[in-house]
Amino acid sequence: MRPFGFERPETLERAAGIVAAREDRAAPPPLSSAQFIAGGTNMADYMKLGVMRPNLLVDIGRLADPGLRRIAASPDGIRLGALVRMSEAEENADIRIGYPVIAESLQQAASQQIRNMASLGGNILQRTRCEYFRDISWACNKRDPGSGCAAMDGFNRQHAVLGVSDRCIATYHGDFAQALIALDASVETQSPRGGRTMAFSELHRLPGETPHVETQLMADELITLIDIPAKPWARRSHYLKIRDRQSYAFAVASVAVVLDLEDGAVRDVRIALGGLATVPWRAQEAEDELKGGPLDERTAGRAAEAAFAGAMPREHNAFKISLGRQALVRALLETRDMRV
Amino acid sequence: MKRLVSMTVNGEEIELAIPPYRTLLDVLRNEGRLTGTKKGCDVGDCGACTVIMDGSPVNSCLVLGIEAEGATIETIEGQHAGPDLPHLIQEKFMDHGGAQCGFCTPGIIMMTKALLKENPNPTESEVRFAIAGNICRCTGYAKIVDAVLAAAEDLRKGRTL
Amino acid sequence: MNEAAPLPKGNMGEPVARIDARLKVTGDARYPADLPVRDVAHAVLVTSPIARGRLTQLHTEAARAVPGVLDIIAAGDVDGELERPQFGNSGSTSIAPLHDRRIWHDGQIVALVVAETFEAASEAAALVRADFQAEEPSSGFGSPGIEIIPAAGASPLYPENPEAGDFDAAWATAEISIDETYSTPTQHHNPMELFSTTASWFDGDVTVNESSQNVTGWKNTLARQLKVDPEHVRVVSPYVGGAFGSRGPMTPRTAIIAHAARRLGRPVRCVVTRKQAYTTQTYRAETRHHIRMGAMKDGRIVAFRHEGWELTSRPDNYVVGGTGTTARMYGYGAVETKVSLVKADRNTPSYMRSPPETPYVYALENAMDEMAVALAMDPVEFRRVNDTMTEPIEGKPFSSRSLMECYDQAAEAFGWNRRTRGIGSMRDGDWLVGMGCATAVYPTNVAPCTARVRLTADGRIRVQSGSHEIGTGIRTVAAQMAAERLGAPFWSVEVEMGDSSLPPAPVSGGSTSTASVCSAVMKACDAIRARLFHAAVTANDGPLSGLAPADLGIADGRIVAGARVEAVANAMERMGVGEIEEYAEFAPEGSSADAIANLYKGKLEMRMGEEGAKVKYAFGAEFVEVRIHRLTRETRVSRLVGAFAAGRIMNPRTARSQLMGGMIWGVGCALHEATEMDRHSARYVNTDLQDYLVPVNADIQDVKVILVEEKDTDVNPAGVKGLGELGNVGTPAAVASAVYHATGKRIRDLPIRIEDLL
Repeated sequence: MRPFGFERPETLERAAGIVAAREDRAAPPPLSSAQFIAGGTNMADYMKLGVMRPNLLVDIGRLADPGLRRIAASPDGIRLGALVRMSEAEENADIRIGYPVIAESLQQAASQQIRNMASLGGNILQRTRCEYFRDISWACNKRDPGSGCAAMDGFNRQHAVLGVSDRCIATYHGDFAQALIALDASVETQSPRGGRTMAFSELHRLPGETPHVETQLMADELITLIDIPAKPWARRSHYLKIRDRQSYAFAVASVAVVLDLEDGAVRDVRIALGGLATVPWRAQEAEDELKGGPLDERTAGRAAEAAFAGAMPREHNAFKISLGRQALVRALLETRDMRV
Repeated sequence: MKRLVSMTVNGEEIELAIPPYRTLLDVLRNEGRLTGTKKGCDVGDCGACTVIMDGSPVNSCLVLGIEAEGATIETIEGQHAGPDLPHLIQEKFMDHGGAQCGFCTPGIIMMTKALLKENPNPTESEVRFAIAGNICRCTGYAKIVDAVLAAAEDLRKGRTL
Repeated sequence: MNEAAPLPKGNMGEPVARIDARLKVTGDARYPADLPVRDVAHAVLVTSPIARGRLTQLHTEAARAVPGVLDIIAAGDVDGELERPQFGNSGSTSIAPLHDRRIWHDGQIVALVVAETFEAASEAAALVRADFQAEEPSSGFGSPGIEIIPAAGASPLYPENPEAGDFDAAWATAEISIDETYSTPTQHHNPMELFSTTASWFDGDVTVNESSQNVTGWKNTLARQLKVDPEHVRVVSPYVGGAFGSRGPMTPRTAIIAHAARRLGRPVRCVVTRKQAYTTQTYRAETRHHIRMGAMKDGRIVAFRHEGWELTSRPDNYVVGGTGTTARMYGYGAVETKVSLVKADRNTPSYMRSPPETPYVYALENAMDEMAVALAMDPVEFRRVNDTMTEPIEGKPFSSRSLMECYDQAAEAFGWNRRTRGIGSMRDGDWLVGMGCATAVYPTNVAPCTARVRLTADGRIRVQSGSHEIGTGIRTVAAQMAAERLGAPFWSVEVEMGDSSLPPAPVSGGSTSTASVCSAVMKACDAIRARLFHAAVTANDGPLSGLAPADLGIADGRIVAGARVEAVANAMERMGVGEIEEYAEFAPEGSSADAIANLYKGKLEMRMGEEGAKVKYAFGAEFVEVRIHRLTRETRVSRLVGAFAAGRIMNPRTARSQLMGGMIWGVGCALHEATEMDRHSARYVNTDLQDYLVPVNADIQDVKVILVEEKDTDVNPAGVKGLGELGNVGTPAAVASAVYHATGKRIRDLPIRIEDLL
């Protein structure tokens, strides 16, 4: 691991200020020479692999602001501090009962050990597990802009079929983010320029020409809060994760569904797909297909067709289109049949 | 370059001068001379390095030593029922053949301790998922789960962790 | 008593807990990288990112500038100091990474960085830049530029293709035939303990601490490479964090680290990253198979042809060669086999748990299942029809064969009669349920071995043999054998292993250890008994005086003849000794006159199961239940039952443990494990434990092992058939059979994944 400096500021303002004072403050966050760490699970991994080589770590894990660690449920919704550990959130009774899709997405992520360390804010920003990204001897536009993409014509079974560009087909591998998309969450951020709020679905950026720019955040900007509105569909919500082994594996395909049913008809539905796309992916075409009608295997199948109409497979991942469709059908039916 | 870090390891408060890039795993194994905690991948994929930090099991290979400032760490070396007496969980792992080559065993025992502290009455499925982050390549999984369930049973009979 | 310790049946020892269980559960078992070494320097490998070409230049200036860097060793730096590695039983490859600049494979070592700390060495290694003259590589099957050669004659381990009768004529008479191809992928052992070497020189002697399955072989190999006499080399490996064949042959790194320590004048430790282990260690070669099987309507097989292709490196002809086993499995009638090697720009593969049987028996047992379907026969009955006590190649009898007994016991425990025959006919809600079965088989090999046993007057026993505790429980069963032969309690025995300074034992491979070590320990113990019995019966006033030694036994620390007893300690006192020590050499029947001398030289002389007047194999039957979701098609193994017969079972607890671990390995092989290639660059892609999937706890549900009683006095003096590599042989085909039953899809290429079933 490359030697680096280490700072542990007391306040959020100070933490952001340290990064803002650096020469490369305008760099896209993944390329910045200063990196925030909270749980540190991703950063320690990337630094050992040489994928990220910051020369300063700013530890935000002990920032004093209690709001960063709070889970606050109210009739309007639930607000999750960015430093809440994944394991704390998955065990929270308000979340388990009121927003099951969140608890399910967290419980099926990583391992218990990692969930005990990892913060929600960090989890959202986790980078891809693309093998070509993780080994610095391969060409990778996301890691080294302009170097090319070895995955494009390489072994790309686990790669994305949605949201791809000719620069990058790396999958977004998180689980929690799909739940947030489905629940129509928003995030609050802080930087020396002040705070801002954005829809969670706006946070991540498609790879396009610049796969190394992964989110709307600036290098000195921190996620502080995740805000989830209380909506009629929050309770009837579900996360289905399909993987090659039963646990401790990334999704081959995953689906987050929130559903508002009235007399068997779909009043409202939101669907997010994971393991299939370059970013947390909202399947709006599938939602539109379902709204106002009955939900059964046939209508779910039509929605699934719509969800993958624009899919772009490579040599080894074409199966993800049929798997993704089937997973979507299964998730919709399982959500419909939930007892709430 | 080095930083002075203090932590409590197996009940003993220690102060160590460590470089910022050294992981807690390497700090325990090198500076701490506690080699019962194993390095099986060094990137959070295997669970062999599991220790209990402030009450929660973590992968010590993903924690920087300096992040453990002020923390309370429990490792396999601190687990015993008395002088020269194995811990309840260790006893059950011996009885049920839960150790084969033995390399993953310390990590799994630490994971088990944390699990049973939180949930002394786990179902078989809860055990399997709770320790899914600890890979055993001898694949002694059936025996490991039996050992954990047997330890839980003894806990319910009044034995302590 | 619990499930882990099955009650012993006939011809089974006590299910005692492992002798080293305590050390393993307390973290006190020290693996080689755990040993504190004073003043140790740390080494990190630099490896090639190309698979074929030449190293033209290495830029090390930036690396040397990293504070704490002590040395960088690269191509040319070992000339005259280090002999080239050789490919053979103790050496994994002839590729000599620092002797020449040719790049033979992805991830080949190109330099070694030595520094004061592991972190400094890692950072410096990342800064070494290499220039290559790259050439287009061939990654394996189907790539342009591969070379295909016959295996027969290419390796001393595979002299010829077994065959019998006139296959073509028999094939023409078959009423039902199967003609299919199968394949198995590259797999890596991935033992939990990372690969590491620690070398320390003192006064011209070098000690290497490295997990090994072959300390004596490595000692001799290292000595040759380091150009020193073997007596100056010691290889120490007290505990091994899993091996599975990966630590059988020594890889080039070991000598390089020993050389680095000699050059630096300081101990050097190198812990290889898991990623680098994929290319600097060995692996299971991918294979392809073409099987033709012809049968009559009554189920009798009349013709069997098995052709295999196996991948290997350009310079080394590693042969898997599993037709030796598949050609002898059933009473086929005519048999024809052929094996070819496919040479590509890859590192040299090697042994991995049941090397020939895993791929070859997978192909055969799949074909058996397909034939049973074609015949509309129950697959168990189909095997019964073709069961035989005489192998078809040379017409030799099996020393023992309890295959159908295994099938019957496993089928009953599994509830095979509850299986309904129709495809997809069994369901549990949205889950399709499938049931399948297959045969497990492994040859009973045995090898020359030595042991030293010491009995002291206070009743304590010390056993020494240079074998290896790789998780099998060999220390435990060796102790049981000594305790039994010397009439002492198990706890009074101490066992030393894993050190080349001990009396040599063979490589812990080929499932030979229990048979070989126990036979040697037994022989040494019997020599001690002979001395004790002689003392007890010769002229004296003791209670056993005048009896024939043959009438004596030994139990509970006493020499016994009916009601007459004398304490062992008394007999020793009269002998005027405080201890009796015997060293024994065991050479299996049919060994050469030089067998023991060769063992000391690290040359393997294994007697294989198919050699001798009778052929010797252990058998088992495995039953699997899978659940496959009707929509998303992921396969879960809900139940596993295996019944195995393997001669004398030294310890039902460790035997169960080995077999159960093997069966779960088989699940990994069936559903998860494959090292994926980037075909254009001939490089491995999924080189970590998050992307190379092995089963985790959550994948395993109900597993049952049945130990079937069997006695076989022909195999070896201990009566033991090795079983460490038996359990994983049948599972993949049984899973494939169950998947077919659930879905109607016949998956012939491993692993069976979601995409195969959609």
